[in-house]
Amino acid sequence: MASETVESTATADRRSVRGRLGLDGEALRGWATVAPVILLYLFVAVTPIAFAIYASLFEVPLLNPNWTFTGLSNYVEVLTMNSFWSSLWLGALFMVGSTVVQLLVGLWIALVLNQLDRGQRFLTAVAFTAYLVPTVIVVLVALFMFDVEVGVLHIAGSTLGLWGERTFALGDQTWAMPLVVLVGSWKFSIFVTIFTLAQLRAIPDRFYEAAKICGASRWEMFRDITLPRITGVLLIAVLLRAVFMFNKFDIIWMLTEGGPAGATTTLPILAYRTAFLHNDYGVANAMAVVMFVFLALGAYCYFRAFDPTAEVDT
Amino acid sequence: MSTPTETPSETETEGGTRLSYETRDRLYNLALYGSAALFSAVILFPIYWMVQNAFTDSQTVITEFSWLPSPETVTLDNFSVLAAGAVPRYVINTIVVTAGTIVVVVAVSLVAGYGMARFRFRYKQSFAQFLLLGYMFSPIVLGLPLYLIWSEIGLLNAQIGLVIALSSISMPFAVWLMWKYIQTIPESMEESAWIAGASRWRTFWDVVVPQTKPAIVACALFAFAIAWNDFTFAQILLPSQESTTFAPGIMRLIDQGGYTSWGDIMAVSLLMTVPPLLFAYFLQEYLLKGFEVRTR
Repeated sequence: MASETVESTATADRRSVRGRLGLDGEALRGWATVAPVILLYLFVAVTPIAFAIYASLFEVPLLNPNWTFTGLSNYVEVLTMNSFWSSLWLGALFMVGSTVVQLLVGLWIALVLNQLDRGQRFLTAVAFTAYLVPTVIVVLVALFMFDVEVGVLHIAGSTLGLWGERTFALGDQTWAMPLVVLVGSWKFSIFVTIFTLAQLRAIPDRFYEAAKICGASRWEMFRDITLPRITGVLLIAVLLRAVFMFNKFDIIWMLTEGGPAGATTTLPILAYRTAFLHNDYGVANAMAVVMFVFLALGAYCYFRAFDPTAEVDT
Repeated sequence: MSTPTETPSETETEGGTRLSYETRDRLYNLALYGSAALFSAVILFPIYWMVQNAFTDSQTVITEFSWLPSPETVTLDNFSVLAAGAVPRYVINTIVVTAGTIVVVVAVSLVAGYGMARFRFRYKQSFAQFLLLGYMFSPIVLGLPLYLIWSEIGLLNAQIGLVIALSSISMPFAVWLMWKYIQTIPESMEESAWIAGASRWRTFWDVVVPQTKPAIVACALFAFAIAWNDFTFAQILLPSQESTTFAPGIMRLIDQGGYTSWGDIMAVSLLMTVPPLLFAYFLQEYLLKGFEVRTR
């Protein structure tokens, strides 16, 4: 009883203060708890993006402290660059290819996992293992397996006649891009599985039991019960995968450094090359800004389509 | 309610035209277990290949090709790569950066998640949305401008700079997870602690933190994965050979052509793969609990 009275007076107090100021002790403490997050964001996200926009207006030789203001000419240069448009195209190819492969494989694994009676724990462990292997290790093993001398996949491919005996497949014009997509998908498909699996498990068994009693085939059950319930989560997974893949730098750079002859030079690779190999930091920042605009568009679609905060009640 | 009585007769009449139920069932199971076997093989083979060659004599690795390890060539010599040269330094740097990132992510997200779950303040929803924007930050977009900023303020080649960068991109996941998880903890226990005279901080530390263990583990593992996996930030922000982490370090070694001993590379690859697997394996109970809240 005593506790109730203490509490109700306390809340009444707070309410009146909030009514007048809009910022009482509770709100202050609330903001204080999230202040470190805001600081991190300011420091690592807001400032760099603002700085990139600023630097993109200058000509910046990386090793020289003298910046020359050039207005929008960096953007003009970027937009009239052949390599920009070709890398945009390659980036789109990489993004769409990776997203499609990862969606199909990831969804397939999730459906299989959800249906298995035996070996479910084993396959779950195996699938998660792929996701847990660090990207650099995936790359090192891939480089080893495609090695011209002793690479097992190189030998398999050249035996099948996919590429020549002395051809390094990752250094081959036609094969570099598909292989980079496949190596990436080996690791990242499970992302879609993780997203989907929880949703699949949340579908009550009685739905399927009822459908079975009504004589529905497995395909009908999938189409009418499973698919409608996972479409939402699949769309989110696709959007996130597409955004991540558009910005993928590490796996492409480590596998091919954008080569051969630019065959895997997507926009992030081009920006990195421009900054650190061509020493043109201003133009590179203009590219970063262009990429950021793409990201922001992705983010906008994400919030428009799904409003992820709607389900959270506070 | 008429359907259950109808169905048996339906299947009886269709029995002749369609594949029998048992055949369909068998085909379905074949496809199901066939897919499971295929996925296991595709995922496990590269891992098997790495392990096999890590334990094979490094000369044999580059001269002979064999599907199975043979007893004469099995050796632990490849692991001596960790005793000398540049590789051990890279591995230690990775461990330092990862540990730092885990500490920062857990501490910051725990406090922020608690605040968001327990305090009411205006614009909290907008803040939560703003946080999700972090999913859209990519290391390459942030890394390019950060390079000059970090070099101006002296954080370039400093591991703390990398820790800060990696912690930030872990925030959206970590804070949302903590926030949602703490929401599921009944407030009544904290209230009784306050009534017993405990301060807010003490209640947080003694009542809330022990109950958020699954979420802490999930956040720590997430931060671990981000830091252990990172290549882009480290490549840009730690350009010097002394300070850099494993991923950029070993790629630079290979690029310079001075390092093509696949046996050694597979050995150190195996060592770098084991920690994430061990963590995930031992912490899976916690992890699943943490993720359940997240995906709900």
